Amino acid sequence: MRVLVLGADGFVGRRVVTALAASGWATPVAGSRRPRSEAAGERIVLDATDAAALEAAVAGVDAVVNCIAGDADTIRRNAAALFAVAGARRVVHLSSMAVYGAAEGLIGEDTPLSDAAGAYGDAKVAAERLATANTIILRPGCIYGPGSTQWSLRIAQLLDQRRVGDLGAAGDGCSNAVHVDDVVAAILSGLRTGQGAYNLAMTDAPDWNGYFLAFARALGAVPIRRVPGWQLRFDSKIAAIPLKLAERVTRRLPPPIPPSLARLWAQDLRLDASRAERDLGIAWTPLDRGVAEAAAWCRAQMRR
Amino acid sequence: MIVDANSLIDGSLPCDDICVIGAGAVGIALALRLADAGVRVTLIEAGGDGRDEAVQDAYAGAVTDPDLHSPLRDYRERRLGGTSTIWGGRCMPLDPIDFTQRDWIPDSGWPIGPGALAPYYPDANRWCEAGQFDYNADSALPDGAAPMIAGFNGQAFRTDRLERFSCPTDFGRRYRQRLIASRNVRLVLDAAVTAIRLDPDGTRVRALSVRTKYGTQIDLAPRHVVLCAGGLESARLMLANRDVHPNGIGNHHDVLGRYYMSHIAGTIGMLHVTAPVWHGYDVADDGTYCRRRLSLNEEAQVAHRVGNFVARLHHPRIADPRHGAGALSALYLGRALVPRLYRARLTGEGDGGANYLRHIGNVVRQPGAVVRFARDTLSKRWLAERKYPSVVATPVDGAYMLDFHAEQEPNRDSRVMLGEERDALGMPRLLVDWRYTRGDVRTVEVALRLLAEDIRRSGCGSFDYDPDQVEREMTRYGAYPGHHIGTVRMGSDPRHSMVDADCRVHGVANLHVAGAAVFPTSSQANPTLTAVALALRLADRLAAKGAI
Repeated sequence: MRVLVLGADGFVGRRVVTALAASGWATPVAGSRRPRSEAAGERIVLDATDAAALEAAVAGVDAVVNCIAGDADTIRRNAAALFAVAGARRVVHLSSMAVYGAAEGLIGEDTPLSDAAGAYGDAKVAAERLATANTIILRPGCIYGPGSTQWSLRIAQLLDQRRVGDLGAAGDGCSNAVHVDDVVAAILSGLRTGQGAYNLAMTDAPDWNGYFLAFARALGAVPIRRVPGWQLRFDSKIAAIPLKLAERVTRRLPPPIPPSLARLWAQDLRLDASRAERDLGIAWTPLDRGVAEAAAWCRAQMRR
Repeated sequence: MIVDANSLIDGSLPCDDICVIGAGAVGIALALRLADAGVRVTLIEAGGDGRDEAVQDAYAGAVTDPDLHSPLRDYRERRLGGTSTIWGGRCMPLDPIDFTQRDWIPDSGWPIGPGALAPYYPDANRWCEAGQFDYNADSALPDGAAPMIAGFNGQAFRTDRLERFSCPTDFGRRYRQRLIASRNVRLVLDAAVTAIRLDPDGTRVRALSVRTKYGTQIDLAPRHVVLCAGGLESARLMLANRDVHPNGIGNHHDVLGRYYMSHIAGTIGMLHVTAPVWHGYDVADDGTYCRRRLSLNEEAQVAHRVGNFVARLHHPRIADPRHGAGALSALYLGRALVPRLYRARLTGEGDGGANYLRHIGNVVRQPGAVVRFARDTLSKRWLAERKYPSVVATPVDGAYMLDFHAEQEPNRDSRVMLGEERDALGMPRLLVDWRYTRGDVRTVEVALRLLAEDIRRSGCGSFDYDPDQVEREMTRYGAYPGHHIGTVRMGSDPRHSMVDADCRVHGVANLHVAGAAVFPTSSQANPTLTAVALALRLADRLAAKGAI
């Protein structure tokens, strides 16, 4: 099976290409806009929001894995282009739990999608609505592990700076953590089996306080600190603005905590991923092992 | 969701599966645990969001000896969060021996063993925000576990056990958002239960009457009731309802309100230590403050036929300037800033001009220590959400006092009763007659003697105290305030207990009691952690029965 991987140089895409190459049953075709030279295997250069380019690319493959990341506009244009040309091919499309918006409680895949999920979530919802019949939609929670800048490296920096730790009620939300290896396994499985949408989050994912503690232990950033509510509010509402602006200029400053992130840490949304376990046969990476790998990678990054 | 009882008109509230009375640490943990298991809960709290003196007045009552027991308005709070809004946060589990029937302690023995609570303690620790359930110094603090007294090698005492500290967590503030967000919880504030009505044959609760502070009357007919009002108030509510059971609900054998226990605590003696001492707090990985303690081991309790006992090194009396510690003198001089209930030990005998001068002298001599103390008070207590648990100061001459906390044995004659007066809702006020026994004194006397021997034998110093002053020191401040234990005791025999091993009132099918009220013995441990663990266990049992 020839499989086109879009976003092949991204955090997830890169690992999907490697896993497909090692699968024995698939041949990856790595598609990205600016291919990195060291990557091996068959590669094509394309803009995944360009329908004509995509049409040419999919002509030679049996299936597509869509790992395109980016802003809301990119997400919408990529989905519009891809699903216009995919035809009957199997597509495994990486969506997000952001499609559930501000929903709370135990969330199964049949939960109605939000119509006010913010710019990013709305775009992910719009993309899902364009999906073709033979598309497997994956809705991961927070993907952590080596290579995760958002849910591992940034958290590691915040833990080192003692800006997160024990957040009290502000960290009561479920982390819906899912290891990147498990996402890759779900993608590979989704190329061959399953139907419809699947939530991806480890069983009994810890709340954010629990995730921070486990990760801090792996990093050696202990003891963690109880971050007072006033500090987190200041950090996410006032300090976040200059830090976000500064981030565009330099990466040397501390990472911001945008208000949306602080909101997520308190949101009581728990993904029910039992369908993925059953249909896609996913066995979740244990948290201890996952954070140990993530911590080792983060330490190496932070030493650079 | 939160329901303001004042917004409801006279009449009845639609009924839920389970009604939990009292939104303190126990009631909140129980209600949310039930809600998470899919059970619908109405949580009724007599108070509102903050302290309201008019509401708090319902707690006023009488004590037979004001020197032995704090006023009933103090050390308990009628508001969301209950007494967790003012607690100190000290957590530790019961010891296995606490559950056993000890022939030297009358009426000892629980109908459940340590195994019944073991699965719930780790969760209780999380609810209390006391970190990981690990109370062993060596495993909980792999790096920071300095010995308490270098070279101490006790036969009767061990120092490898920890106490851990909650933030201290105000359950009302901490879990408020979850109570609001939960679809299965309905929290009714400002609603005092005034009557628990039984069926005519007295085997079931038929209805609850609830009165708001503005006089609105609401009747509820829950299928099930769990009373979590605290050790004094739960007994009061049961005693006050006498229409079907003439001596109070379930009280067929004159047990209700009796066996009232607290802890026996005091500060005594002079411990001169020649070896290095570490009596400050360590911080575990999870950020919780932990501290080693001297605990009387089980073999010694058995061999000497005494109750459970723990002790800590304590700085000398703050009010006595002879300690020479600038930080302590600064605290003494600034004691107006300390919350009222914690101020008692800051005012000693011999307040006077000369004393003040000597305290000022201590401050002037150690400006660095005073500045550090002020800075830490600001950053680690006032601005911190996880607060440094207490003042730790090293006495200049290496002379510590000993702070002890001992089990009080069950005693039928130590009791709470209904008095003649009534509160604004017409409920009889409480009369508390707390008593201690010769056995309680003996536990402390023997434990102190064993400790003195252990220290001498270890060659790390000496512990000198006046054996004739033990009883006076252990009752100097009376019953340890805020620990209200045993008034609705658990047991298998209805003639000597009020609730069974499942916390169900004997003979009343749909009434349970949770909290320290049901502990048949008091242990050495502060009761909150165990009360929460027992409540979580009860929640699981109620949920497993399909909401009864």
